[in-house]
Amino acid sequence: MASDFAMGQFQFLKRLLLVHGHWNYQRVGYLVLYNFYRNAVFVLMLFCVFYSVIYTSVPTIVVGVLDKDLSHKTLLKYPKLYGAGHRHEAYNLQLFWITMIDTLWQSLVLFYIPLFTYKESSIDIWSMGSLWTITVVILVNIHLAMDIRRWVFITHAAVWGSIMITYACMVVLDSIPIFPNYWTIYHLAKSPTYWLTISLIIIMALLPRFLLKVIHQIFWPSDIQIAREAEILRKVTPNLRS
Amino acid sequence: MLVSIVFIPIGVVSLFASRDVVEIIDQYETECVPQNFRNDKVSFIQSNANKTCTRRLTVTKLMKKPIYVYYQLDNFYQNHRRYVKSRSDSQLKDNSGWDEVSSCKPEDMSNGQPIVPCGLIAWSLFNDTYNFSLNNQQLAVNKKGISWKSDRDRKFGRNVFPRNFQNGTLIGGKSLDPTVPLSKQEDLIVWMRTAALPTFRKLYGKIEWDLQPNEVIHVTLENNYNTYSFSGKKKLVLSTTSWLGGKNDFLGIAYLTVGGLCFFLALSFTVVYLVKPRRLGDPSYLSWNRNPGGH
Repeated sequence: MASDFAMGQFQFLKRLLLVHGHWNYQRVGYLVLYNFYRNAVFVLMLFCVFYSVIYTSVPTIVVGVLDKDLSHKTLLKYPKLYGAGHRHEAYNLQLFWITMIDTLWQSLVLFYIPLFTYKESSIDIWSMGSLWTITVVILVNIHLAMDIRRWVFITHAAVWGSIMITYACMVVLDSIPIFPNYWTIYHLAKSPTYWLTISLIIIMALLPRFLLKVIHQIFWPSDIQIAREAEILRKVTPNLRS
Repeated sequence: MLVSIVFIPIGVVSLFASRDVVEIIDQYETECVPQNFRNDKVSFIQSNANKTCTRRLTVTKLMKKPIYVYYQLDNFYQNHRRYVKSRSDSQLKDNSGWDEVSSCKPEDMSNGQPIVPCGLIAWSLFNDTYNFSLNNQQLAVNKKGISWKSDRDRKFGRNVFPRNFQNGTLIGGKSLDPTVPLSKQEDLIVWMRTAALPTFRKLYGKIEWDLQPNEVIHVTLENNYNTYSFSGKKKLVLSTTSWLGGKNDFLGIAYLTVGGLCFFLALSFTVVYLVKPRRLGDPSYLSWNRNPGGH
């Protein structure tokens, strides 16, 4: 994270601080929490190199580099919005622990639902592992999708693309007879139980977080939240002075 | 709201599908040990005593063919890491790999010769057998097509024959006919698809006959497999299937619960929205407008 900036004229300072400084703080704060979450959720699962590098890192990078919560016009017009950084709103101890508890909940849901669905059945070890892997990837990507503040084409491509690439990789890997998981994905995809289990896990895992966000946004909206609503409603720089 | 609209019907349909499945489960590992051996079941199973056992199963509801016959084992960890690794896929696939047994230790060689198929998984092949009769007529059990087709075609070779199998001092399970190639040894193929959980079922065969309610099926089984050394349980399961698979109320109940919860939440949020709405973008909520002097 760069902390030394050189600029040609003093007038650039305003934009540097209020616009880029704000965006950077929001992005970094969220990304740190998200990365703790993403890695911790996978702790229960068999570690796979593909997970970190291919399946889930691209959306992380895209969001980290490009996400903007407010337009630069709003940020320049209302310098007080920069106070969010002073007040540690995007990354603080409380947020960290809430993230960890949410992570714990999501991992428990992720692990136990397939267990309960498939106990006393004839499922084999490779299919079960395949189910867990794909669900983790879909889950962390949808979690990210819930938090993305500005959707542009490349964000869509990164998030949904990652999920599709994971499936594609699975199909490719499961078509090689030498591997023990040969034919697993084809066998699973034909079973409605598989798809129902995945959607149940996603909804159940993300429900608490979703709930918390909605309640927070209704009853205790942050300045940034208000500014975003005003921006979207008026589609021009909002008038935030009362 | 959307979630509840989608989930509740799925829950209801899944629950109905699960309720439609008819299952007969018979736990027999204790009952099939004669009384005088009940205190030392391990020595019974390891002896040459007669292991034939007869059981009666009563059909409660109409079961339409095909009826799947499974054996269910409890407390059997086919998912143990060392167990799962103990096989040689190159040996199973083609005759040219018959001596590639290094990953199969300790069940790799016997009397100086490689074992085909090697490894702990093959060695511990389940060997109880079941014979069904209804009204003194034999009920045929179709044992073809019980394994994954991809396994039969690509993983277990047509030119690989068992040799030197179960030849050692310790016999772990069933012996294999050395004249039948592995691609046709479906019990072995089913067994070698290692189960994910310690309580699992494996397909034994299919009965292609409808079973009417209140019919009594006589099962003559050979109680050969030693689950007594690790307090495992053995169950015979006859089950019909639905579009959802076997009997499993969990998905139906889970969907109904989550759907109901979401419905309740949607209702609460609607109430909040109607009773105490917060105008979107209302500047009076901004922190510098709420405590104008502060921070």
